[in-house]
Amino acid sequence: MRIFRASIVVTIMIAALVVAGARPAAAADSIDPDADFKAFRDYFTKLFPNVPLNDFVNGPYSMDAELRKQWEAIDDFPPYDFAVDRGKEMFATPFKNGKSYGDCFPDKGIGIRQNYPYFDDKTGEVITLELALNRCREANGEEPYSYVTDEMASLTAYMAFTSRGKPFDIKIPNDPRALAAYQNGEEYFYARRGQLNFSCASCHVQNPGNHIRTEVLAPALGIVAAMPIYRSEWNGMGTMSRRLVTCNSQVRGVPLKPQDELYRDVEYYLSYMSNGLPISGPGARP
Amino acid sequence: MRGAIAQGSALFVAAVLAAVLFANARASAQALPGQALAFDRSKGNCLTCHDIKGGDSPGNLGPPLADMKARFPDRKELAAIVFDETKRNPQTVMPPFGRNLILTDGEIEAIVDFLYTR
Amino acid sequence: MRRYLFVAVVCLLTSAAQAASTEADYKTALAAAEAAEHDAGALKNQWIPTEQALAAAKKAAAAGDFDTAVAQAKEAEALAKASIAQAKEQQTAWKAGVIR
Repeated sequence: MRIFRASIVVTIMIAALVVAGARPAAAADSIDPDADFKAFRDYFTKLFPNVPLNDFVNGPYSMDAELRKQWEAIDDFPPYDFAVDRGKEMFATPFKNGKSYGDCFPDKGIGIRQNYPYFDDKTGEVITLELALNRCREANGEEPYSYVTDEMASLTAYMAFTSRGKPFDIKIPNDPRALAAYQNGEEYFYARRGQLNFSCASCHVQNPGNHIRTEVLAPALGIVAAMPIYRSEWNGMGTMSRRLVTCNSQVRGVPLKPQDELYRDVEYYLSYMSNGLPISGPGARP
Repeated sequence: MRGAIAQGSALFVAAVLAAVLFANARASAQALPGQALAFDRSKGNCLTCHDIKGGDSPGNLGPPLADMKARFPDRKELAAIVFDETKRNPQTVMPPFGRNLILTDGEIEAIVDFLYTR
Repeated sequence: MRRYLFVAVVCLLTSAAQAASTEADYKTALAAAEAAEHDAGALKNQWIPTEQALAAAKKAAAAGDFDTAVAQAKEAEALAKASIAQAKEQQTAWKAGVIR
């Protein structure tokens, strides 16, 4: 009888916590995105005390003054302009069924990029902007685009452009599936992979501002804010998917399929870590 | 009799000279493979992270590789670092060239030979 | 003289048997390599050199060079196993690098 009453009390207490919206109290080894967020930000701002917080979204240019001068020199005619124009045109062109991209998104798809990725509690999955765009196409009878080529880059370039300056606002709902996706993304980021045994953190946490051969490494803080990017090395645009695939192959790991669950999870993690930082995309990189 | 000895000496000198020249040729042929392996992007690719005399546009994720004989008098220690630096430093970004089968034992030895000339 | 000839022939035959791999040897080696690479795939941690070695093994076998084919298949198996070891180790080791 006493045990029964005690368990009712405990149940009420837990219910109260849930109602209050608090995440489960952090125990050793449990998931605490807020603590991670603070530690992540402090790490980079301490490492680079002279870099203004919002400047981290400029990646290698926030790390290297010489590189920055080169970047500023091309800013009058940014190399991603053609992608933005094309994306705007695509957005304005209806599908065969008369609907258009704006019908799939809040606010007609304008000025919303900073909310992606988000966790969809109906389907229990992380939805990235690229995934949402292809689902929009398929829902309206159109073939999906490749995640690594120009059409997807143009669409996301335009959407990023309409969100320029808006701070990342990524939400992790109090849902064990969302927390699991967040942690899977964190694990993906820190786990070593490929024959070369690098993790994403090897370069972007342990060596921001350093250079491999002549390439200056970007800090992980704000690293997704400039996507999609025009990369001079690629002579063209690169989507988030393309960047992840390339990073994998550069460490001699067989890339996952674009928009694989793990890729979406790591984008979710990195975007959450960049909350509050302004969208700087589309970007230009060496 | 004297003629035969003279002829024998001349042959002996010629043989020694040939042997010395041959040995030198082999030695320089051996020095090259280590450097070639170290600088080759598909092999050691050392310049990606290390400044090494004789190489261009080095990265700086690792320390410059100079004074190696003085810094690593124990050859086995240097070979072990190339084989798997995570054993010394679990958080290193240096690839485990031996453990992950990037380089063979022979290739690691050749690279160590080369590093000892830097 | 005949005895020396006999020994020489035996030596030649045994060394030849050791050197030449058969198609059966190749198929065994390939199966082992592909099984390991499949396991690495389940862990989402395959390496590019593994795929390259598998391709090289198949190409050599198609050309009838089973020595090369077996060597490449064995290399592929070793690489696949190394990638599996990496994935398994990283399942816990990743935490050591997290910014706290």
